[in-house]
Amino acid sequence: MSLQRSITLSLACVSGGAVAAMPDSVQRNFVACPIVRDTASVPCWLAEYEGELYFLTLQTDVSAPVNPPMLGHKVLVEGRRTDKPRICGGIVLEPVRLSVLPALDANCNQLLPAEAQYNLTFEPPRPPGPSKGRLAFNTLDVQQAEVAPQRVEKHFSIGYDFEGRVGFKHPALLQPVLDYALAIKATSINIEGHRGAALLSDGTILNESPKLAQQRAQQVAELLQGAGLIGPRYTVRWIDAAPAPNGSDDSAQRRVDITIKP
Amino acid sequence: MLLCAVAVQVVAAEDDVLAPPHALYPAPKFTLRWINPGETGGLAADGSYDNNQGQLGVLNAAGAVTATGHPFFAPLGTNGRACVSCHQPQDAMSLSLDSIRRQWQVTQGQDPIFAAVDGANCPHLPQQDPASHSLLLDRGLFRVFLPWPPRDAAGKAIEPEFGIEVVRDPTGCNLHAQYGLHSAQPMVSVYRRPRPAANLKYPTHQNFGVSSFIGKNGLPTARDPQTGKPTSMNLMADARPPSLRAQAADAAATHLQRIAPLSKAQLDAIVAFEGQVYVAQQIDRHAGSLIEANGPTAFGPRALLKGEAGVLGNNTSRWVFPMEGKWTTLPRGASAAQDARNAGRESIARGHDVFMFRTFWIRDSMHLNSVGLGNPTKRTCATCHGMHMTGMDTANGWMDIGSTNLPWAREAPLNPWTTQKPELPLFKLTCRNDIAPHPFLGRVIYTQDPGRALISGRCNDIGTIVMQQLRGLSARAPYFSNGSAHSLRDVVDFYDRRYNIGYSEQEKQDLANFLGAL
Ligand code: HEC
Ligand code: HEC
Repeated sequence: MSLQRSITLSLACVSGGAVAAMPDSVQRNFVACPIVRDTASVPCWLAEYEGELYFLTLQTDVSAPVNPPMLGHKVLVEGRRTDKPRICGGIVLEPVRLSVLPALDANCNQLLPAEAQYNLTFEPPRPPGPSKGRLAFNTLDVQQAEVAPQRVEKHFSIGYDFEGRVGFKHPALLQPVLDYALAIKATSINIEGHRGAALLSDGTILNESPKLAQQRAQQVAELLQGAGLIGPRYTVRWIDAAPAPNGSDDSAQRRVDITIKP
Repeated sequence: MLLCAVAVQVVAAEDDVLAPPHALYPAPKFTLRWINPGETGGLAADGSYDNNQGQLGVLNAAGAVTATGHPFFAPLGTNGRACVSCHQPQDAMSLSLDSIRRQWQVTQGQDPIFAAVDGANCPHLPQQDPASHSLLLDRGLFRVFLPWPPRDAAGKAIEPEFGIEVVRDPTGCNLHAQYGLHSAQPMVSVYRRPRPAANLKYPTHQNFGVSSFIGKNGLPTARDPQTGKPTSMNLMADARPPSLRAQAADAAATHLQRIAPLSKAQLDAIVAFEGQVYVAQQIDRHAGSLIEANGPTAFGPRALLKGEAGVLGNNTSRWVFPMEGKWTTLPRGASAAQDARNAGRESIARGHDVFMFRTFWIRDSMHLNSVGLGNPTKRTCATCHGMHMTGMDTANGWMDIGSTNLPWAREAPLNPWTTQKPELPLFKLTCRNDIAPHPFLGRVIYTQDPGRALISGRCNDIGTIVMQQLRGLSARAPYFSNGSAHSLRDVVDFYDRRYNIGYSEQEKQDLANFLGAL
């Protein structure tokens, strides 16, 4: 994705955002303290919004598509309300994105005991103890590409949590970038950082920090260089303006785009 | 208390310390055997050494080792020490507090382990005075001095994410004009236990979890300068050496105070020796032999030789410590001795199950609760201690369990009625405003040892310590990098407090017995 195109996109969003200021009725975007509900097996993660309890996710392991948030912090929930049977008393949000907000908040400290009525009605993906056969960290178990790939220009996109920088999810995203660039002996690499905003269900807009687009882009460049990708010429840019959020796919703006050229 | 323990040990061990050289050690009667640098003689292929909990096995997989002239055993530096000084076979290739105290008694403080450079609280102190070596004599700690700010692999200064202040300096080293943080060559002194220089294929494996980026935080993985490959970053308390060679070169310069670099042949010999020596408990004082033909395959040094390195334990094929369901219920009534032995074995089996399956809420532990399991996470000891055979983390195993960070670290109670004084330094680290605060400790963190953060300069690494292999534990008390747990029971009690586990007395005993059998 070129620099120009993302700028055009973001302008379009700004003008669109002025009109449609609310997410659709199925979307639930809110900031709340997460709540842990123990069960006879793994704990459930929940959060309350406008008097209603929502189910966020279960404790599983690192490789899970959705990871539980943290007590001691508020969480930004961006999810879609479903009609699925409630889990642990909460309305199931799916898909759901959870971003732990960086500030510490000692008020977020609710750990509820197991109650028979809130037991899981299904086998959780993994028990609280060691897994049976299936290994955690599968995403890190990187397979090296065996055949030399074609030397073509290739785009990668690295996503982030709200206010997030590189963390435990990123090795699985950065490794293919590194492998491809090394495999085709890339001569140049373009990195473009973005930041976003989140439109909450009550109309509030949360903006990511002003410098985050730059910090994300620079960090990705440092990491790739630190991992030994020092051959190619790096072009590192960022787009400081956060496009106006629409409340449905705001997380897509929180990203770094990478283009690897032969 | 302390003096009494020392006296008993000396009586029991004196003749062994002074035993004639030239023999393969240990002597067949399985007593303790201190090895002095430069001694002639060697190590048997299958060595056995008694300890309070039973007996340790030391296996040299490449056969008997001639110590004479061997660079691991020879005093290669200027202070009379050899690697073996602090990595004694009888102490599971680490160094127990008992041995340290005994050497102080037997040599009147002249053993080179007490050398001023790091065997004293600080080099400037009067070296004849035991008080100047109190951290070594009370807690088994050597001084580890690291440059501030940290340097990257190329030697370039890293801009740290936090500032560091010395709040308390009981050893006088961190504020000393020559050795301290404000000296011409700024240094931070922390105090750490030696780690076992054995079973090293596990901490240095190239298997699961090793990739170009650190699984915990996405940062680039340290690479082995020789091979250029990413490493598992599991050596020392802070993962600072990228390889055993680099570690040995550094140990020679610091611990041995050697001026010239080690030769290639010397490095080869050290690394080859380290790569083939395996240690583990093999007799338990209650449970008897841990290595009987039909017993569990978790125990004894041969199990470590056979085990596959760098495999994440699960509970179907590669258990963290494979027990094969054995010893859970054993017969009674044959004889009193056999009943006692079987009771001991059952306790170990129960302790294993506590380790693997007894859940508790793991909370506010950096690099565990921050890697997608949630905070808190309902898990077990084996969640962190997950690598097959050693119970380390498979890769980059530094985490904060509160062993060195306040509020959990062991601190002397201060009040008008006690004469107890804090022994360890205390640092105040303040994370910069332009980075996110530490998710559990905020921006201002008090710690006895910043751990990995002294190498990475990262706020989130403050007080994180690489987990040790859980092997040969009975031979090398005290535990944790800062020696804050004097016994395995004390380790269990620490966890019970730290995570509000609520173990029963039976669970505590079983867990300690299990750890002691490893
Ligand atoms: C004065 C005592 C002392 C001497 C002498 C010494 N070491 Fe160590 N060793 C230590 C300490 C203390 C540590 C842990 C340091 C830390 O965690 O930062 C350690 C750690 C190690 C480790 C890491 C093991 C692991 O699993 O992380 C190895 C390997 C090792 N030493 C090998 C050697 C070699 C080889 C020599 C000789 C060249 C040597 N040591 C000399 C005290 C010593
Ligand atoms: C959150 C991760 C975590 C959990 C859970 C955990 N440990 Fe640890 N363990 C560590 C770390 C990190 C260290 C190194 C700490 C240090 O040296 O300061 C360690 C050190 C140890 C040691 C010291 C080894 C030595 O050589 O000094 C023992 C023994 C131990 N753990 C046993 C246990 C037991 C038993 C449990 C369950 C009650 C447990 N651990 C739970 C992370 C964990």
